[in-house]
Amino acid sequence: MSKKKKNMPPHWALKFLRLFIKREYIEEIEVDLEETYHINRQESSTVRANWRYVIEVFKLLRPNLIKSLAWNYSISPAGMYQSHFKTAVRGLKKNFGFSAINIFGLSLSIAVGILMILLISERYSFDDFHTQKDRIYKVTTNRVQGTKGEEVQLSTASYYIGNQLKEQVPGIDEVVFMKADRLSADFITERKAISINGFYASASFFDVFSFDLLQGNPQTALSEPNSVVLTRSSARKLFGDADPIGQVLNVEENGDFKSVVIAGVVADPPMNSHMRFDVLVSLSTVVKPFSETANDINSPDNTNDVSVYLLQNEQAKTEDIIGAMANLMGDYNKTIEHPIRHSLQPMETFVTSNTYANRMGPMFSERKIKIMLGLMLIILISACFNYTNLSMARALKRSKEVGIRKVMGASRSQVFTQFIMEALVLAFLALVVGLALFYIIRPQFLDLPNPAAMGHDMFSLKINYIHIVYFIGFTFIVGLLAGFQPAFLLSKYKALNAFQDASKFTLFSKGVNLRQVLTGFQFAISIGLIVFAVLVFKQYKFSLDYDLGYSTESIVNIPIEGDYINLLEAEIAKLPEVLETSKSSWVLGVGGDGMSVGMVMSKDNPKPTPFLVNQVDGSYLRMHELSFLAGSGFTRSLDEGQTQNHVIINEKGLQTLGVDSAADAIGKTILHNGNSLQIQGVVEDFISIALTKEIFESFAFVQANEATPYKSLNVKISSGNLQSSLAKLEVAYCKHDAIHPFEAHFYDDQIAKVYEREKTTFTIVSFLAFLAICISTLGLLGMAVYTLESRKKEISIRKVLGARLQNLLLLLSHEFLIIVLVSSAIAIPVVLYIVDRMVLNDFIHRIEIKVSDSLSGLVIMLSIGLLTIGWQIRAVFVKNPTDALKNQ
Amino acid sequence: MKKTKLGEFEELALLTVIVLQEKAYGVEIKKELETRLNQTLSVGSIQSALKRMEQKGFLTSEFGEATNKRGGKRKRIYSATSYAHKVLNEIKEIREALWKSIPQPKFSLLGI
Repeated sequence: MSKKKKNMPPHWALKFLRLFIKREYIEEIEVDLEETYHINRQESSTVRANWRYVIEVFKLLRPNLIKSLAWNYSISPAGMYQSHFKTAVRGLKKNFGFSAINIFGLSLSIAVGILMILLISERYSFDDFHTQKDRIYKVTTNRVQGTKGEEVQLSTASYYIGNQLKEQVPGIDEVVFMKADRLSADFITERKAISINGFYASASFFDVFSFDLLQGNPQTALSEPNSVVLTRSSARKLFGDADPIGQVLNVEENGDFKSVVIAGVVADPPMNSHMRFDVLVSLSTVVKPFSETANDINSPDNTNDVSVYLLQNEQAKTEDIIGAMANLMGDYNKTIEHPIRHSLQPMETFVTSNTYANRMGPMFSERKIKIMLGLMLIILISACFNYTNLSMARALKRSKEVGIRKVMGASRSQVFTQFIMEALVLAFLALVVGLALFYIIRPQFLDLPNPAAMGHDMFSLKINYIHIVYFIGFTFIVGLLAGFQPAFLLSKYKALNAFQDASKFTLFSKGVNLRQVLTGFQFAISIGLIVFAVLVFKQYKFSLDYDLGYSTESIVNIPIEGDYINLLEAEIAKLPEVLETSKSSWVLGVGGDGMSVGMVMSKDNPKPTPFLVNQVDGSYLRMHELSFLAGSGFTRSLDEGQTQNHVIINEKGLQTLGVDSAADAIGKTILHNGNSLQIQGVVEDFISIALTKEIFESFAFVQANEATPYKSLNVKISSGNLQSSLAKLEVAYCKHDAIHPFEAHFYDDQIAKVYEREKTTFTIVSFLAFLAICISTLGLLGMAVYTLESRKKEISIRKVLGARLQNLLLLLSHEFLIIVLVSSAIAIPVVLYIVDRMVLNDFIHRIEIKVSDSLSGLVIMLSIGLLTIGWQIRAVFVKNPTDALKNQ
Repeated sequence: MKKTKLGEFEELALLTVIVLQEKAYGVEIKKELETRLNQTLSVGSIQSALKRMEQKGFLTSEFGEATNKRGGKRKRIYSATSYAHKVLNEIKEIREALWKSIPQPKFSLLGI
């Protein structure tokens, strides 16, 4: 080969020549060039001859010698495609088993693809209904905050910067202020009362955001104090079909205002809005105009209270506004240690950005999308590999067909198109099946708990016309991806080779071949996903079963809003099912509205240190069975107005106060909230918030001397008929509170809910693992069927000669065994690393990764694979060997 | 002259084809012209001229026999059509007539 090459002109130039010269001229011109080349080589050097040759080739680029750019064939290509389509359909029918395996495998990945397309397109359509979306920005804040001295990024800003922007910075059309705290209150008419929540927004709200104001004046609806805009659904709940405009509503459980006037009705915010509300209250109701308010509200330092949205002028530049904000803050920043910096966040990242604290609305981070896309691609590629592998395995059978086509004058590109067409037909059949599968998984997916959505539905996953275009495009790509490799290889066959003895002819070089690598990839993905799912599930179970340090058994927690808790408690205590009751301001291990942090000082440690505080009544600690290191629990509940004088702290609290032993601490005095409290008991450490978080390790239980701090009524019920007990509790509850729905939960369920994120991760990963296993098993099945079909005679002869099933299994599955072992050797360490970094690191108390967990994927894959192969071998083995041997 | 449109280079190539007779194929024509014109020519220019003339009907061509020298590939032998002979004669006559029409003294000026 190399010797021949020496005397030949550069090959690439020849290839290039063939590319552009008209077909009918090519032979003659090629030979002319070659002859000239040899003459040149003899006359001067090879290098010069090569050089001349290349120049000659380029000089042949003449209009009358090159191929015309128009279609070369005089007949329309439609007929060819029609014929390809027909052969493709016939081929699929003929090899029904293989087609079914391929279609099913591809449809699994296409269903996931459909899900992803819908998810991504819905995510990117967030806030699209705002006609000025590209001009809406939010002012963000970077500053050092908190005790740890870390810089935080806030999605809130100050009234100060907002007002300065409005008055002094050019290029801003409107500024909207919205209080960062959501409003949650009971709105009451003469006949009805509902609990709704929403936002406080300044007057320019409707100039910036395109919420559809059905009734009322967009300019003035939110300008007067005490005026509100209701959504249509909440207006309907309160007034039915009557006109709500101008009606006066009473508001309860809210210190700031007592009655409001309805100034407008707005359409319900759509699902793809980053802010959701039932009501908008004018900001002037709670915040006085700039000039009249107290200094601390107007201070540039007050950066946690308000979200500042602005509508940028079309001509203005974002950088200029950011620069202007830096200038505005310049003087103030000189007076403080850590400067406060403001920046702008464009509307399209409101949902996607996960870096801001104080955010409002749902979140779907870029990272999450990337991970999901990555997983989808892996599943997709895995399914495409099935097609590739099975097609290439059957390539021998097809080689004669290719040979005949070539002899009949088909060009390589035509054969290529034919095979691509087959893949496309298959992919589109898979699309139909995939759509059906999608409708099966859709409700399950929508039901998955999504803590980042903040209690709202983020996605509807409805299919529009435009999505169908995406699906078709997507399927097209899948078809190309799956069909490219076989089409490329099969169309490469030379007509002559195709008719040679098939046994002499190998598709792959010896050693590791492409098919093995692709299969290995599939196995690695399946094994990896299994291990991932197993580990996440174990951590989830571990977190649920973790000894919290207190008892949660048969305890029902009822959230209470109002001051009737003592009355309700007294009534409930009379029920025969109720064993014990207690009151607390929040629920340990779950959290709640009443959760608070208090500064505690003692004589030994005069520096105030933060303690997590829960206000509980006399029976709380006893009922929850917290174990004491020293001292005792509260003996009785405090009466109204009685002074608090005792506190119970935990072990960590003891250490922060600088006391060595629990016994010593009893009777010592600490300062909390201006009260001096005596330490009455010390409890063992327990899980205060969740296994994922450990913000404040020091903990203090104090007692409340009035009803309102208690936000949760804890009821221990006997484990009889739980449903009827709950129903009785509800009856009692409804007597006292007609507005808020009864939302009692079993303590254990609440704890489980804390780990919803892990549960969702587990559900998604195990679903993907299931898909990956399905796909790779299908591929394996296809390969097994094919191998056995082509080795039927061999197996029959072996059987006749006395081989047993086990021998055959070993013979035929040793390749599979090697691939599985190699791929798990690659996949398992990678997955262990990822799980360790991305999942387990979020937990303080985490599981130990055991060898058995790591090997779970390998074991599952091995057993499924061996069963598949064994099943196929058995199918051949049980047949009479003469049947296979006699037909020649 | 109008209909024929035989360019100068084409005319030379055509004449060469006639001169070379049955040896008239690409490389040979190129060599012949190169020696006569005393300049290097590209394969492209020769081929382009030959194809053009074939289309205009000055040349016909057929594959010759395959030889070992050309690696088993055939060469294409060109031959001039009678139409080509006619046109060449026409051109020649026109040229001669023109030469004859040049007044005698000018010849001496041209150095002849």
